Amino acid sequence: MSSFFWASDHLGWGVFAIVVFMGAWWLLADLVWRLTSIRIVKLAVFAAGGWLACVALIVAGFYLSGS
Amino acid sequence: MATLILQVFALACVAVAGVVWLIYFPYPSPLIRRWLPPRKRWPTDQIRGWLETGRFQREFLRYFYRDPERMAPPGDTLIAPADGVITSAEVLDGVRYLVIALSFWDMHVQRSPAAGKVIRLESQGDAFTDGEGREFAFLRAKHCPVQQRVVVDTGVGELAVRLITSLAARRIETWVNVGDIVDRGQRIGRILLGSTVVLELPAAATLLAKVGDRVRAGETPVAEFPR
Repeated sequence: MSSFFWASDHLGWGVFAIVVFMGAWWLLADLVWRLTSIRIVKLAVFAAGGWLACVALIVAGFYLSGS
Repeated sequence: MATLILQVFALACVAVAGVVWLIYFPYPSPLIRRWLPPRKRWPTDQIRGWLETGRFQREFLRYFYRDPERMAPPGDTLIAPADGVITSAEVLDGVRYLVIALSFWDMHVQRSPAAGKVIRLESQGDAFTDGEGREFAFLRAKHCPVQQRVVVDTGVGELAVRLITSLAARRIETWVNVGDIVDRGQRIGRILLGSTVVLELPAAATLLAKVGDRVRAGETPVAEFPR
């Protein structure tokens, strides 16, 4: 678990990937909000669901590649 | 150590993206603007804010000043003098006034509806209007709004193009002089920052476009002279 957050001399790739993904996901959600007429509550639900799924994938990928 | 530096740099970029997003909110961040259509890229409220401060985003001005080539359709129909939406086509005293409303996002170069000779250039008005009623201001008192009237003798009949400013626009450039021979679709001027263009035709001219139609300067046939 420690290498997820911190490796020997740099940030763990797991937490790094999650932070970068969060930034990109936020901008993508903003773009979708402006391009479509989706209601904000619906967008928030979709964005949160997508975010959770992608973070789960990142975590799973991290541990699967590490094992 | 190099990896850590690269990671910190990448995270700093993410942080800057977040700060930029916050600074521009509720308007689009420059990072996503390119993927938005013009009306959403620069919302009305944002443009009105720039009009008040007099400071415009350079990217918007570049878009606003665009002057694309246009290909006039074959034939001798009268083509639209401006990009925009036809909001009125009333007849008054034997003249049909075809009113084209331009938005902030329309191309603002005006073109001659027909080939002919410029016989008059008239400046009218000394005040500005905005919003409701501007479309018909040219039918009322002459002190408002500021406008330029370009009268062209086509050989078949006379027509005039009125370039009307608004509170937002305020400036008109005309690129032709009295005596100039203009081609059909030739550039004749530009209104800066959204307003109205009125094409004056003989009432007997046949309309080829109707109120509510979106027209393109130098391309969309809007009327033809009676044969």
